[in-house]
Amino acid sequence: MSRFLSPDQLLIDRISHNDTEAFEQIYHLYWKSLYLYCLKKIESSEDAKIIVRSIFTDIWEKRHALPVSFCLSKHLYQEVRKKVIKCIFEKLAVLESRKSIEERLTIEFSVLSLQAARRPVSKSFTIINKPSELIRQQSGQAGTVHHNNFETLRWIFQSLIDKFSFTNLLSYSKN
Amino acid sequence: MKSEILHRKLERYVNGESMPAETRQIQNWLSCTSKEAPLSPEERSLLELEILQEIQSFTAYPLFFPRKKKAWWQKITAMF
Repeated sequence: MSRFLSPDQLLIDRISHNDTEAFEQIYHLYWKSLYLYCLKKIESSEDAKIIVRSIFTDIWEKRHALPVSFCLSKHLYQEVRKKVIKCIFEKLAVLESRKSIEERLTIEFSVLSLQAARRPVSKSFTIINKPSELIRQQSGQAGTVHHNNFETLRWIFQSLIDKFSFTNLLSYSKN
Repeated sequence: MKSEILHRKLERYVNGESMPAETRQIQNWLSCTSKEAPLSPEERSLLELEILQEIQSFTAYPLFFPRKKKAWWQKITAMF
């Protein structure tokens, strides 16, 4: 296993060896952003759940056929967009849901509202140098400043344990 | 936009037969994520579990690949 693999690639590698924990780790990492994206686009919690479920079910079922150059974030990005479009397409075929979609999409497909997609992404982009900053951003405490909080200590402790278990594995494989 | 027009447009997009302008319009719509949907922490954790359970029942992976027992020191560190 190369040490230049990204955390996502390591998890995918573990999934291909039927590691269910790695699969759940990926799920916990990405489900929320996928779900919220679907909810924004479809405005139906049930459909959003179905899309998230089908994306992760596909990953698990195709785990042995994933290519070496498989990029998880890229795959999720493409899949969620594809499935959202398919869902709307299927909903438009049903008379009951057609009207609500028509009302909403007439506004959303207007030129003015689509201009937002053309804005540069770098508007609120900041480079994260420290792990403490990353943890604060992920836990929604971006504004507060306390460097040595419990989350930071936990993160350091967890990374030490991971390193320890990894070195143990290496020494075991050498023996 | 009428639903019939949108339906035909999406059909072309799904089949890969749409015009470049149509593709750009749909992709722009897909990239628009300005609105934020609120989700309370309780609701979030419930949903997280619910979807995971659905995935587990669909794939049945806990049945085929049950979890291995952790080492004692891993159990202790998990408490922190």
